[in-house]
Amino acid sequence: MSEKKYTKDHEWVSIENEIATIGISNHAQESLGDIVFIELPSVGNSVKAKDEICVVESVKAASDIYAPIDGEIIEVNNNLENDAAIINQDAENEGWIFKMKISDSNQYSKLMSEDEYKQFLEQ
Amino acid sequence: MPINYKTGIINEHKNVRNHSGIFDVSHMGQILIENNESYLHKLENYIPLQLKKLIKNRSHYSFLLNKDGGVIDDLIISNIDIKDKSYLYIVYNASRKKEDEEIFISCAPNAEKIYIKNCLFAIQGPDSMNVLKNVIEIPDNMNFFDILISKYNNNEIIISRSGYTGEDGFELSIPNESAENFITHLLKNENTMLCGLGSRDSLRLEAGLSLYGHELNEKITPIEAGLSWALDKERLEDENLNGNKVLSDQLKNKLSNKKIGLISTSKSMLRDGMTLFDNNNNEIGKITSGCFSPNLNKSIAIGYIISEFNTDNPIFCEIRKKLELVKINNLPFVKKNYKKYGSVYE
Repeated sequence: MSEKKYTKDHEWVSIENEIATIGISNHAQESLGDIVFIELPSVGNSVKAKDEICVVESVKAASDIYAPIDGEIIEVNNNLENDAAIINQDAENEGWIFKMKISDSNQYSKLMSEDEYKQFLEQ
Repeated sequence: MPINYKTGIINEHKNVRNHSGIFDVSHMGQILIENNESYLHKLENYIPLQLKKLIKNRSHYSFLLNKDGGVIDDLIISNIDIKDKSYLYIVYNASRKKEDEEIFISCAPNAEKIYIKNCLFAIQGPDSMNVLKNVIEIPDNMNFFDILISKYNNNEIIISRSGYTGEDGFELSIPNESAENFITHLLKNENTMLCGLGSRDSLRLEAGLSLYGHELNEKITPIEAGLSWALDKERLEDENLNGNKVLSDQLKNKLSNKKIGLISTSKSMLRDGMTLFDNNNNEIGKITSGCFSPNLNKSIAIGYIISEFNTDNPIFCEIRKKLELVKINNLPFVKKNYKKYGSVYE
């Protein structure tokens, strides 16, 4: 699996064989607090980077999840349907939200590395 | 006061329902007004109670009303003696300090804003009495809405059996210099924990209690907000009460809006400001507060709909451009667990 990268919207992306796995960062999970519901995206949809594609509801607020790069949604994490709190427990592994078949790997390389994301959080 | 402490809103919420939790509500207004007939007479312009007849050591839920009977603020008003002098002790919303204090000072120029020197803590939940008893003296037979003066570290503190969660509990006004010691002392008991604004909101919503700026504002009267029980009916006949005509008319006639409780039928969260529709896509009202209810494991809300709407018909809430079915639920969502009610007058 490739290096994990991050977006300014506090999502993470990792890529294996042109399939990207996406979730929200541990930092995002902490600031949202108890997550109670996630509206998962529809499998088969083609989306562009920055499109709003699903919603995470925490006790505090609803927050949109954006497509980090262009591609087609090919799988969603159905475990989250019954227990969205998995994201609180393990945001960057078990708490993955959806997978995409990506069309442009350049978009991925432009995202932040883990170190860059850490610096971004400190700003 | 933070939204939540380390363990999160849901855990704090459940700890209050099952054991106890402590809220630092020192941001709220607290004022002492001398129990003087001319002050009380002026305050009766705004407050729909017979202030001269308030029983000693009892608290009352009430309001400051504007000329149209709208709610300038909702507050708790108590009659207590401090160092042999009789006072009205009023606790009011932080967001309304400016408006409220203008009125208090115009009625009683020497009113004393004691939140400058006193913190205010609420300890809420079924174990609150046991947690408090380890730290201060407190009579076992204290009723809900009783209030008295006690001591901690030789400092006088004001204790009322009240709160904003639907649970048994207490609110304590305690001098700043003793506050940290007091809280540290209470927190040694593992049945209690610090709780934040998030659980304060979900607890009050489950208990069906109104929040200023949401269910209450200057354009809503206490009657429209379903709080006519808190009005002294004799005062509604009194020209000296702001909005008395509007209020007595509203009591006799049908209101244009009614307050309702709602439960989500899906997993989506109902939130403040969402619009409600009937099954013909006509707008019938709005949500004023919504949250996730840890006790019901669903989203709940309070809102206003037009009175003529027949609540046997389905109601839909617009959530992210989709209409979702919601169900009416009587308020409160969770049964109140107060110690006991007292009567307002002797």
